[in-house]
Amino acid sequence: METTNNEYIKRFGPLRILEHWLNAGTFILLVVTGLSQKFHTYDLSLWIISVFGGIDATRLVHRYSGIMLTVMTLQHVLVASFGIIVKKWQPSMIIHLKDFRDAIDNIKYYLGLSEEPARCDRFDYKQKFEYWGVVVGGMLMAATGLALWFPILVTRFLPGQLIPVAKALHTNEALLAFLVIIIWHIYNAIFSPEVLPIDTVIFTGKISKARMIHEHPIEYERITGITLPRHHEHHGHEPEPEAAAETTTTTIT
Amino acid sequence: MRSHKPILYLLFISLLIFSMAPAASALSDDDKACMGCHESDLSMTFGNGETQKLKVNQQEVEKSVHGMIGCSTCHGFTAENHPKRSYKSKREHSSLSARECQKCHNALDNPIHKKLISESATKTICSDCHGFHAVKRVRELAKGNQYCLTCHNRELTVHYKDGFKENVQIKEDVLNNSVHKNLSCIDCHVRVSAESHPVRDFKTKRDFSVVMAEHCRRCHFDKYSKTLEGIHFKALSQGNAKAPICTDCHGTHAMASARNNKLANAKKCEKCHSAIYAIYAKSVHGSALIRENIEDVPICSDCHKAHDNAGPHTADFRVSVPQTCAGCHAKKEIMQKYGLSTRVVDTYLQDFHGVTMKFYKQYGKTEKQIAVCIDCHGVHDIMKTKGENAALIKANLVKRCQKCHAGATAAFPDSWISHYEPDIKKAPMVFFIDWGYKIFIPFMIIGLVLQIILHMWRYIVNR
Repeated sequence: METTNNEYIKRFGPLRILEHWLNAGTFILLVVTGLSQKFHTYDLSLWIISVFGGIDATRLVHRYSGIMLTVMTLQHVLVASFGIIVKKWQPSMIIHLKDFRDAIDNIKYYLGLSEEPARCDRFDYKQKFEYWGVVVGGMLMAATGLALWFPILVTRFLPGQLIPVAKALHTNEALLAFLVIIIWHIYNAIFSPEVLPIDTVIFTGKISKARMIHEHPIEYERITGITLPRHHEHHGHEPEPEAAAETTTTTIT
Repeated sequence: MRSHKPILYLLFISLLIFSMAPAASALSDDDKACMGCHESDLSMTFGNGETQKLKVNQQEVEKSVHGMIGCSTCHGFTAENHPKRSYKSKREHSSLSARECQKCHNALDNPIHKKLISESATKTICSDCHGFHAVKRVRELAKGNQYCLTCHNRELTVHYKDGFKENVQIKEDVLNNSVHKNLSCIDCHVRVSAESHPVRDFKTKRDFSVVMAEHCRRCHFDKYSKTLEGIHFKALSQGNAKAPICTDCHGTHAMASARNNKLANAKKCEKCHSAIYAIYAKSVHGSALIRENIEDVPICSDCHKAHDNAGPHTADFRVSVPQTCAGCHAKKEIMQKYGLSTRVVDTYLQDFHGVTMKFYKQYGKTEKQIAVCIDCHGVHDIMKTKGENAALIKANLVKRCQKCHAGATAAFPDSWISHYEPDIKKAPMVFFIDWGYKIFIPFMIIGLVLQIILHMWRYIVNR
């Protein structure tokens, strides 16, 4: 990571940006084709299925989108493992005890019980929650989806009762994933007043210094070597985050 | 006025005499001579030992249409020249006597008379139908059906061109027991009337039946129009004379209502579809009907329909199977009698097969095959899935799965959790997963939404 100019810091390379695009596209396709099967009695579902050209075509699209997501999840795990083990990347997505403390600290801050929000590293606990949701959930969906796609093969080695189990997991996990993304991810990436109208970091690959200092102060300190002033040391009253960020930015420049 | 009285008496007496005069005797002197002997109990013995009484009922003769023509007109002799005759049999005597009729009545004018007489001189003779001494005008013979029965109550043979002979004798009690007892013969036999009885020349009895069955629609047009959609009508119109027509199932003169007799109705189909009937008879439905006389079970026509039976090999028939079975299996009042679940249909419809079938049906892709009730349960050979057969049925189920799922192994059928909502006994894993998510999803979503609300609140407060 290096500072490109005074205003922005590079956060993601083109491959990570492409990965997000592909993940988002595949996820939308899976949700549209999957939920219309789960809720097949609704008019909207009937319309979607007819747009895809019938139930068989919808299932085909769903299955190949599933393959796509599976391949992407596997390549991600392989690339990340290779990067961490061989290239000595920072394992920045590893969940630490600090993440749970951060979550509690943040809630305290929201409730006005503490004066400062949690200070996070490269990825905060919300991002780790979503990341691991996608990776673990994706693997669960891939495994159960394949079992539903190839029940004959599965029951050659495993008990038949696992197929309805796979269906129960697949359908419930799908609903959970959909709700988390539509509520949590879309709020944080679009509707949160801090990013409205949209958080562009995953599309442009760069983050403003102000947001960096506000959201990832530990990473900022590590890459720049600057120690940011802690709010409660400077202010007697509760600080305004935006104003604080501006102050620190000017300090750097 | 007194002076007129004797004249009135005279008039009255003379009227009385005049009115009695015709009643005194209408017979000619010749006929009186005949009656002189034939009033008494004479009899005649034929060559075969039969005897015939020769007493003539004078009143009968007088009342008959032939009352004034005299005995000798028909018998050919008078009391003065009475020959002594001998006959082999009563029938020979009658048939020879009946020949005399043709002196005046040209029987050959009437086609059916001509046909009967030309076939045999003795089998059917004039007097069989018209009587002899009490001979009557055709119209006086009888009214309505009795008129037809005047001839058809005796053995009459119809010859078809293919050589088949049929006795067209009709028994009156058969007609009276039929549902059509209030109809006249001519309501169905439309080309025949009291005035005319054409001779019809059919190649086979079947040809005649096919033509006759056409007349049913005169009253039963709704049923007739349904048959036009049926596979039997199609087969018939393509030249298959064996295809059933109205009368094959409903009968002819003995037409009985079988509406309330399921077994009798099923048996009608057996006449042609005996192999299938034998399979049905062993099934849970057939054996309940035949052995236990349970009429809740379906018979052939409940699933295949009767008049508009379009055949079971159409795509439409296949996709309508769940609906057909639902006709009984989703009805609580029937199912609870036998301890059966009414949820079998909607659990199917919510399952993979049912959903797929629903979409195929909706988008008219009915030619695509997806398992419906009969693919797993069988068709005519449906068995109980519980009880002593349960293990066997389960063992056989994998073979049925293999019809679509090639390579399915013994564990494969277990992937179908039957027509049950997953519960703790039947599918505990599915049950716990469903419940786990039912708790976890709201917990997660409420938690996330609360965080969002708190976050927004903090943001607003900070501004």
